Amino acid sequence: MERTLEHELIVKEGDNLLTPLGMTSAESYRAVKAGQSALRRYEGLWGVPEPFVASLLDRKAIDQALDAHYSIRALETYSFFEKMAILSISRALEQSSVDPASDRVRFFLSTTKGNVARLETENRYRPDVLPGYSAQRICDFFHNPNPPIVISNACTSGLCAQIAAMRALQQGRCDHAIVVGADQQSKFIVSGFQSFKALSPLPCQPFDRDRQGLNLGEAAATLLYTRRPVDEIGPTDWIACRGAIRNDANHISGPSRTGEGCYRTLRAVLQDTPPEELAFLNAHGTATPYNDEMEAIAIDRAGLSDVPVNGLKGYFGHTMGAAGLLETVLSMYALDDQTILGTRGYVHCGVSHPLRLSATHATTQRKSFIKLLSGFGGCNAALLFRQGGDLC
Amino acid sequence: MLTLQSWIHIAPTGACLEGHSVPVTDSNEGLLKRLYHQYVGDYPKFFKMDPLCRLGFIASELLLQNTPDRFSPREDRAVILFSHSGSFASDSHYQQTIADPNDYFPSPSVFVYTLANIVTGEIAIRNHYFGETSCYLLNRKDPAEMIAIVEEAFLDPQTRSALCGWVEYVDETHYETTLFLVGPEDHTGKPIWNQDTINDLINF
Amino acid sequence: MEALMVELKQAIIEALNLEEVTPEEIDNDAPLFGEGLGLDSIDALELIVLMEKKYGIKLKDAAEGRKIFQSIRVMADYIAQHRTK
Repeated sequence: MERTLEHELIVKEGDNLLTPLGMTSAESYRAVKAGQSALRRYEGLWGVPEPFVASLLDRKAIDQALDAHYSIRALETYSFFEKMAILSISRALEQSSVDPASDRVRFFLSTTKGNVARLETENRYRPDVLPGYSAQRICDFFHNPNPPIVISNACTSGLCAQIAAMRALQQGRCDHAIVVGADQQSKFIVSGFQSFKALSPLPCQPFDRDRQGLNLGEAAATLLYTRRPVDEIGPTDWIACRGAIRNDANHISGPSRTGEGCYRTLRAVLQDTPPEELAFLNAHGTATPYNDEMEAIAIDRAGLSDVPVNGLKGYFGHTMGAAGLLETVLSMYALDDQTILGTRGYVHCGVSHPLRLSATHATTQRKSFIKLLSGFGGCNAALLFRQGGDLC
Repeated sequence: MLTLQSWIHIAPTGACLEGHSVPVTDSNEGLLKRLYHQYVGDYPKFFKMDPLCRLGFIASELLLQNTPDRFSPREDRAVILFSHSGSFASDSHYQQTIADPNDYFPSPSVFVYTLANIVTGEIAIRNHYFGETSCYLLNRKDPAEMIAIVEEAFLDPQTRSALCGWVEYVDETHYETTLFLVGPEDHTGKPIWNQDTINDLINF
Repeated sequence: MEALMVELKQAIIEALNLEEVTPEEIDNDAPLFGEGLGLDSIDALELIVLMEKKYGIKLKDAAEGRKIFQSIRVMADYIAQHRTK
């Protein structure tokens, strides 16, 4: 992004992960580090005829946690989807002095299906089933005066929302950006992925030769970004350096056989960053046969086959609109801990271009990583992150 | 500084390209199908698209039909669309396929269109655009926000032009799209890409 | 069998929105995928739904579908042998 102000960078000021394994980023990270997974098998849930494996939040626990912050009556009319986003934002805000009601703060919501579950009780057009409406309600809850933006780029939304926030910060349209990603699982989404024969009957196995598909998950994740002068950036600050979004121009649901869009995002974010500087590449790694193969091709084409690669879907499944934020935050916490997280579920290489994958955690001294995502509509996104004050 | 190269508006009452009404023959078919038969005709994937995609696709076809080297692969053009209702029409259609436990047949070809960004992908596929594709959902039609976000997309150094605008489909009688082709200043007297320009051109 | 093949073609045209294709244009022995009808991976999944909805035949994945969706004739043979409705 060439117009980046030379003397300012975009820095993480707060974060939160609301997952089945923890209500904070630190808790969720500790569970992942300990090798836990939130994936469980469900039979007959929500009236879905076929059993499925998923990572689901405890609705009661979310309500209880919210009740500790706010009067639950103030949230009575909010959907579960909106409530998990609000709780996640609140917890991220606790780590900073940012006033969400300021007109210098903007909200970016990453979601793929928002309140779609509400169609199950009443299938008709009305405002409260539209994601823009949810975003406005979330924004109103925090008394923010700016119009909220919903980024709906399928599974890449969580990175695209961060990229949109980075751009608004770079252009000076805001001083702080609250980026939240969330999706609530439902019969609607589970049945849709089942109709695509995309769900694994077992906990998923990213990049493995026996992988049978993905597992769905629900989570909310928040990243709080701010602009900060270079000389005020400390060695432990996380910087969002460069992002790119590219299309395969190939098919609306099938990944490109040449990894076209994914390769192009990698090329765009790498620029002159030597691969040796990268601690790892956090792949999308959904564990569907085609996605993982496509990523392996793209990573190889981009000259990154010597960089360690991991995929985190084995811990929390595919959390859709939250995935880009959840996996970014886990990757940051991992590098704070000099760790490359293992790819849970991976045993034998199952892609045509071998990658540096491991089921177990490893250590590293490196301080930067790339997060990758791909999704329906042929979209792909990549974002380069670095710890410490060097210019990106 | 960005300039507005060309624009199109389509609503149930008709299509309007650069301020001129697009002639369309009478038939029993809906407007979008008539426009397809008359101005495209060779892309049967159109019939597989959901209504939101058909709307965005037809608008992009009319907007781009006379551009040189139209189908040469390129990475320098972004497709950035905004909507309020997004994929609602397909969400509602898909919900019907799973609502009755005795007639439960979830449809993959409907489900895939329950993602609002598919319309950006359909346009990218048709035109061989490898550049950015983005879909934003707003709580209301907000030209200032749209203009700012499109301008910011040009912070990507590879993006040199954008096919962008509003695409909204609720049902057969409630739909609207306005698409713009926006590019760098080219000294041909094209208007500057800002709110005044689009307000002057159309009652946006 | 002829009648089943005609019925199947009509059902496929409807299920896959092949709006400009008539049953007469589909050759009983021509490959359904690749060239010709221009069907893709989503169409294959939709054919799996059609098999279950119309003929009560449950296929487990796309790979199983590929063996059956070779041509109208292969599909009709399979349906005649396995249909439950």
